[in-house]
Amino acid sequence: MKKEVIKKLREILGSPAVIEDETELLVYECDALTLFKSKPDAVVFPWTTEQVAQIVRLANEHRIPFLPRGAGTGLSGGALAVEGGIIIELQRMNRVLSIDADNRFAIVQPGVVNLHISQAVAPYGLYYAPDPSSQMACSIGGNVAENSGGPHCLKYGMTTNHILAIEAVTPKGEIIRLGNAAGETVGMDLLGAIVGSEGTFVIVTEITIRLLQKPQWVKTLLAAFHSVEDCSQTVSDIIAAGIVPAALEFVDAKTIEAVEASVYKAGYPQDAAAALLIEVDGFREGLEETSNAIVEICRRNRSYDVRVAKDDEERARLWLGRKGAFGAMGRISPDMITMDAVIPRTRLPEVLAEIARMSDRYGLAVANVFHAGDGNLHPLILFDGRRQDQVEKIHRMGEEIVKLCVDVGGALSGEHGIGYEKKEFMNLVFTEPDLEMMMRVKRVFNPDGLLNPSKIFPTRRACTEIGKHTTTSTAEIGKRVDEVLRGSAR
Amino acid sequence: MTIDGVSPSTVLRPESIEELAQTLASEKGAIVPLGAATQTCFGNPLRRADCAIDLTRLSRITEYNPADLTVHVEAGVPLEQLQHALLENNQFLPLDPWNGPRATVGGIAATNAQGPFRATGTIRDWIIGMKVVHVDGQISKAGGRVVKNVTGYDLQKLYTGSLGTLAVIVEVSLKLRAKFPRTATAIARPADESGAAALIASIRNSALQPISCEWTGPENEVLLRFGEHPRAVDWQLKNLPAADWRVLEDADEAAAWEKLRGRYGQLGPLVLRVIGLPATVHEIIKTYRPAAWIAHALNGIVLMQISDADEIPQIRGKYRAVIEKAPLEVRRKIGTFGLTDTEYDLMKKMKEAFDPEGRLNAGRHVDGERN
Repeated sequence: MKKEVIKKLREILGSPAVIEDETELLVYECDALTLFKSKPDAVVFPWTTEQVAQIVRLANEHRIPFLPRGAGTGLSGGALAVEGGIIIELQRMNRVLSIDADNRFAIVQPGVVNLHISQAVAPYGLYYAPDPSSQMACSIGGNVAENSGGPHCLKYGMTTNHILAIEAVTPKGEIIRLGNAAGETVGMDLLGAIVGSEGTFVIVTEITIRLLQKPQWVKTLLAAFHSVEDCSQTVSDIIAAGIVPAALEFVDAKTIEAVEASVYKAGYPQDAAAALLIEVDGFREGLEETSNAIVEICRRNRSYDVRVAKDDEERARLWLGRKGAFGAMGRISPDMITMDAVIPRTRLPEVLAEIARMSDRYGLAVANVFHAGDGNLHPLILFDGRRQDQVEKIHRMGEEIVKLCVDVGGALSGEHGIGYEKKEFMNLVFTEPDLEMMMRVKRVFNPDGLLNPSKIFPTRRACTEIGKHTTTSTAEIGKRVDEVLRGSAR
Repeated sequence: MTIDGVSPSTVLRPESIEELAQTLASEKGAIVPLGAATQTCFGNPLRRADCAIDLTRLSRITEYNPADLTVHVEAGVPLEQLQHALLENNQFLPLDPWNGPRATVGGIAATNAQGPFRATGTIRDWIIGMKVVHVDGQISKAGGRVVKNVTGYDLQKLYTGSLGTLAVIVEVSLKLRAKFPRTATAIARPADESGAAALIASIRNSALQPISCEWTGPENEVLLRFGEHPRAVDWQLKNLPAADWRVLEDADEAAAWEKLRGRYGQLGPLVLRVIGLPATVHEIIKTYRPAAWIAHALNGIVLMQISDADEIPQIRGKYRAVIEKAPLEVRRKIGTFGLTDTEYDLMKKMKEAFDPEGRLNAGRHVDGERN
């Protein structure tokens, strides 16, 4: 990048808030999807919305691609600087600006850590519901970009159901506001389109979020099974009984092995083939009956051990194991890739059986730990990144898993996003007209494609390597996509 | 058929999505998609109508998976037909729009129609996927068929509430929920407005979680509906703030909500949906002194009957306000949505991107907002 641009960035932000040193930039060559790497030309750390707007306007002047980044916990490469350019790191915009307990909303900056919101509003008996497993680290801005989920989305909905209003910087550098604190849509639901657009429409700089009253009572259960089929059937039976659990999580034997060997040790039954972590919440009255009904369903499906957490401490430990499961894999494998796909929940048994067969066929271990209640699978493929033969196999196996999920009527991603990782799979679920309409909306927000290029849309090239030597300019890619789309429309 | 003084020369009733797509591919005039036509007075005035598309023959429930809590329906399915089918499995779609059970699912989505069930969200929160036909006859879809999904952009959200001006909604995928094990409604009539406001404030600050909380005026009736485990409903009824409550269940309860729907029907001819905050509902009523109102009190929304359209700009100076109902001459003068410049600009570009010739429901939405 030109020295002149760096100089101007330093004028906007001050010298220490701009990184251009090759070694320091290494930290930003990927997000939590470490399989793909591409170094940005600069990383900047603004404090204010106005600074973000200035940076964006500067990037426009020089036709440099740019993208926002939160905590870098994203799992689909959404914060990967595919074409280099400027990463706008929003971690310094980390203040809870206001809390309106009476009207149950809070206004926060994008760099606020998800969990810190619930901590900040706890004195009012309130909390923020969506709770990705990375909630101790991930930022709310990233949650908005990805429409993040989490275990409790089963009952309370995804991020999109909890965002009331935003302030954002457009790809041209204008500051806009959308939505209102009542969460009432006026006209077209522009805000609904922006949440989950993976940082390709606007850069969100302020967020008004809905707060919920903490449930009066919570009951957390752990049910162990000797067979994966029985465990899966229990999921279906709970839903079929009309129970809406707050969370319904599946952990398999491999996951239990890793968790129990790690600092996240939760006391999961080590002889189980699979276990369910089930939570119900709400009014204290009636919760005991609901919990008993769940225990009954588990037993009917041959659960050999159903444990109800006695106190908050035991409850916290059971959750620690679940939320730490991804990290715990380090105990049993040097590397892993976290898959994310959704299937209709009734298809769980057959899909899990097929994934087990694939695991044997490829000789790669798979751990399954996922949101069973909404059919959101997370197969973790374990491998050794130093072994090239294994690295090649995970791509193929990953693709096979995705295809399997699509074939049973599922979706490519339930909460991690498409980003860079899955863009070439988009053709599996969407037709050319489907993608064309999405491209039209993208062009309304991001007409020049400078904001977060080379994401979501398939490039239709057999090219899995990336880096500046293999990618072309945004304008060229945009043109190529246009050509392909027009060609297919004819 | 006449809408806003405009009569389409032809009315088509396609039997299938493909037939509709073929029709649109060859039709060059102004197109008006219609469901049960319960909301034709909502929105900016229709400017042109060459061809009305009556979608009520697209009335199949194409797939219902009770165990997955999902259903996929064609746009012309009436809400009551859907609810009836879902009830067989003790499930339902928690929506009760004012325009009633005859309204079609596609129409409810296109108009973002709402009713007293507000704690459970609006239709945008229940839609998981959508199929639409574009003005040139292309068919596209967004979202999917599973309850949780972040694959691609959420265009179904954009189509929801766009009044059929971006594309014609032809199929909607919805997630469902189990029917409430028990519901009950508590009704009180405080002596005056301050009494009602105080009652609602104490509900807001209590542990109660009603699925509907409506405050109607000038009679100052407060309706609370609870839906939960039977014991949780009982607990909430026992812990109501002090007032002279009447508790209704079963047929009496249903009748009370039907009566409220009738009350909504009587509001008018000029009704504004004023968007405030839960804590400002009373302030809104005190300031504008509407002749009659229904407030979604826990959502900060007041549907208020006003006497003079000249009040609208003044109210919009302080609150967001959508014209819920108004005679044609008022809608000709004042935009329905009161959009900000940012919203206007983005929606206009959206309209141009999907319907560059402005042939879908011409004038109804952003294209008729500022004249």
